[in-house]
This record gives sequence, structure tokens and C-alpha cells, in this order.
Amino acid sequence: MSDPVIEAHDLGIQFNKGRRKQRKLREMFIFRGKNRRTPAATTDFWALRHLDFSIQHGEAVGLIGSNGTGKSTLLRLIAGVLTPDEGSVVCRGKVAPLLELSAGFSGDLTGRENVQIVAAMHGLSSQQIRSKFDEIVDYAEIGDFIDTPVRHYSSGMKVRLGFAVITQLEHPVLLVDEALAVGDRKFREKCYATIEGMLAQGRTLVLVSHSDADLRRFCKRGIYLRGGQLITDGPVEDALDTYHDFAKV
Amino acid sequence: MTVEVGALWRQKSVMWMLVRRDLAVKYQSSVLGYLWSLIDPLVQALIYWFIFGVLYHTKTELYGAGYPLFIVSGIFSWMWISAGITESAHALTSQARLITTMRVRRQIFPVAKVLARAVEYLAGLPIVVLFAILFHGTFTWRLLALPLSMVIQGVLLVGIALILSPLNVLFRDVERMTRLIVRVLMYTAPIIYPLSRVMDSGLPHWFKDLYQLNPMVGIIDIQHGMWIPQLFPKPTVILASAAGSVIIFIIGLWVFRKTESAVLKEL
Repeated sequence: MSDPVIEAHDLGIQFNKGRRKQRKLREMFIFRGKNRRTPAATTDFWALRHLDFSIQHGEAVGLIGSNGTGKSTLLRLIAGVLTPDEGSVVCRGKVAPLLELSAGFSGDLTGRENVQIVAAMHGLSSQQIRSKFDEIVDYAEIGDFIDTPVRHYSSGMKVRLGFAVITQLEHPVLLVDEALAVGDRKFREKCYATIEGMLAQGRTLVLVSHSDADLRRFCKRGIYLRGGQLITDGPVEDALDTYHDFAKV
Repeated sequence: MTVEVGALWRQKSVMWMLVRRDLAVKYQSSVLGYLWSLIDPLVQALIYWFIFGVLYHTKTELYGAGYPLFIVSGIFSWMWISAGITESAHALTSQARLITTMRVRRQIFPVAKVLARAVEYLAGLPIVVLFAILFHGTFTWRLLALPLSMVIQGVLLVGIALILSPLNVLFRDVERMTRLIVRVLMYTAPIIYPLSRVMDSGLPHWFKDLYQLNPMVGIIDIQHGMWIPQLFPKPTVILASAAGSVIIFIIGLWVFRKTESAVLKEL
């Protein structure tokens, strides 16, 4: 078998419970000594720790767990927008991430400008963007609103446009974070069909969702996280069962 | 270092996109649009001309050129420096959305801020030329030093941006401190007074040496010397300026790399 597409070894990331943002500059100088324990260090916690898994080419994996167990953090680590403090995570191949409902759009700009920037950041050339632009707008069913500033969009419109951009990427790895929950039923059906099409092309999917139906539909494999630890990694039914057993108690 | 610069160069299309977006956002809902980037330095120049040109007669050291030309040629370059520094301080905080959802080299955000201000500077150059014609500027080969001055300035500003933007994510004090320091910096370079005022003054030698170590001194004096040949800086001053800028650039790359992981968590 070839190398796995995504590989994590003893992966861990630490966050600070306190509001670091509000830390005053003065503290930086006062608590500089290395042997002195800084108050900040005592509030650090591991959002994820000791994670080991590998995902093969063409697999569809669901991340399962209650709120705040590190699902989104894990997705961000795979996408490379966070860097681990411990261990490593490798992703072989370009990533098409939909990590946030806003998809990185900025409210001041029109849909058109946002699509151009976001698509360019995802690695599309300007010719590719031009040739695919109409398709993106059609898919998102945005119509004339494409020249309206995004801050006037409804959350459904934003996620539709964000997803439409992602569908045009030919990157082999797809990371989706709960984006499907927002669109109406009609658009959701369209998304489902698109994702199934992408999976049929042999792309790899990592999906974060709280919907059992969505997870069962796309994923054969489930990874259940609890408290930043990997509890179950196996068939999606097993992972869901463990999750529900725990949630009941 | 060359690896990092190369990696940045490969993302030039994304960077150009960010520059265009920066300018679009800045000017989209204002009637005068980009004219503001001219009005701002011109009004400042007017104030300094009134105080130092009219009230204090700063004319004697200018070799026949008018003080308005001196002040305008310096201040347009200075506007790029000051806007570049203050705006790049929040290059990361203001674009957190994009940075936390997209896998790109994070360095491109502060760099794009500096480049957007460079575009504004270029847009103002015709005004400087106009002043040179009106106030007895000399058109010589020294005009060819413009790209050199711009490259030195760009390298310096990118270095500063790479230091300030991640630190501002971790400590919001940086932004306010920056604004204060920029106000002071304005007077540490020969923008509103000629360099000779410092050099011929009774200040101690170590102070004069220290003063000339400021990379901005060389940059601004090239801007003056382009039109007023007698003010063109000595090669050593230009060299010091270039060396200082490269050192700050290297420090910037290092600071950015060191703080990147913490910054991503904080955004």
C-alpha cells in the first residue's frame, strides 16, 4: 500500500486557558526567568494529545465527539493552519479546507472579489479562476448578489459561496467542518451529491459533523475524540456507538 | 533566508491580490478615493513649509532649490514609512479570518501591507516631479537612484512589518506603542530639516554617528539628493542604510518564524 495521505504521530497541541491577549507587556519582562514558573504556564492545557492515526488515499473519515473535544482543532492541524507543539502531522497532497462558515470571506468586499481572493489563496491561477467563475456563481445560486458586499449576505449564502469555491478545487484532500448544517435542504442535497462525486473520484475526506446521518452517509470510518484523546478509531458505527454510550451516561 | 524569500516570491500572485484588495477596501466608500493618499502628505508639507520655510527661513542650505521641494520629496517617502509601519502592525490581527482558514505563507500578509503603501507612494510621485519643476529641482542621473532608495526602503519596512505584526497579536500594546514611536521617528531623519543641520551642530560625535546609523537617513537623503545634487548622500551613508535594512529584514524573518505557532493559536 502507498503512503497514507494523512499521518499523525503522537500529535499534541497546547492552548492557554487564560486570555493571553490581555496579558500586559510588563509580564513579558517580569516573568522572563526560565526557572521561575510563570502563572501562564499553569493554565496551559492540552487540547489534543498523543494522537496516532493514518488516513489512506480515498478514505472518508468522520470526526466525532462532543463540543470542545478538539475536532475542529484537529482539522486545523491537518490543514496546516495550526502547528503542533508535540509530535507531527503530515498531509501529502494539497488540501481543500472548509473550516469556517465564513470561508475566509471579508465583509467589506463583494462576493466576486472574495471569490477571487479565496480561490487564489487556495492555489488557483487567475486563468483558472476566470474560467471557473461562472460555474462557482451558478453552483452557489447567488445570482446578481455576487456584486454585493458579503456583509449583506445571509449565512446560507456565505456558506453556499464558500462551498462552491471548494468544489472547483482539484485538491485531493477535502476537509469540511460542519458546513453542511447551515444550507437549506435543497442546497444540502446538492452538497451531498457533490461530495459523493468527489469521493467517487478517489479523493480523501475528513468530515466534522454532529449529524449521525451525515456521518453514516459519507464515512466508513469514524474517529471518536474525548477530552483531546483518541478513544475509538474504527468503523463509523462503532465510533458512534461509543460516543452515544458515553453521552448517555 | 533565501529559501524563505523564494517561497514568498512564488506566492506573488496571491500577494498582488491582497494588495489590490487592500487598496479596494481602503478607497471604496470614499468620494475622493486615492486622492487622499496625496492630500494627506501635501497638507503636512504645507504645515512644515509654513513653520520652517516661512517662519524660520530654512533656505540657506538648499543650494537654490525651494524649501517646498525639499519638504515634499521627503514627506512622500516618509508617508510610505509611517503608514507602512503603523498599518503592518495590525496586518495579522485585521485579517485573522483569512489567516486561520487558509494555508498560505503567513508572511505574505505583512508584506502585502507594505507593498500596498508602496503603490500609494508611486501614485504620489508625479506630484513630487511637479514640485521639482516648480521649485528649481535639478534633473540629473541621480534620479536613477530612485529604485535603489525604494528597494532599501521596501526591505526595511518588510523587516519591521515581520517583527511588529506577530508581536501585535500577542501583545496589543505594540500597536499603540508603534504609533508613538513613529511620531518620534519622523524627527530622527532629515525630513523637515537638512542633514547638515545635525552634522554642523554642536552635538557630540557619537550622537552624529548614531544618527547616521538610522537606515531612514540614507533613504530620505537619496529622495532629497535626486533633485538637489548637493544633498545626495555619501556612498557610506547609502551602504549603512542598506546594511541596516537587510539586518532588520533578517531579524524580521527570524521573529516571524519564532512566533508563528503562538500567533496562529491566538488569532
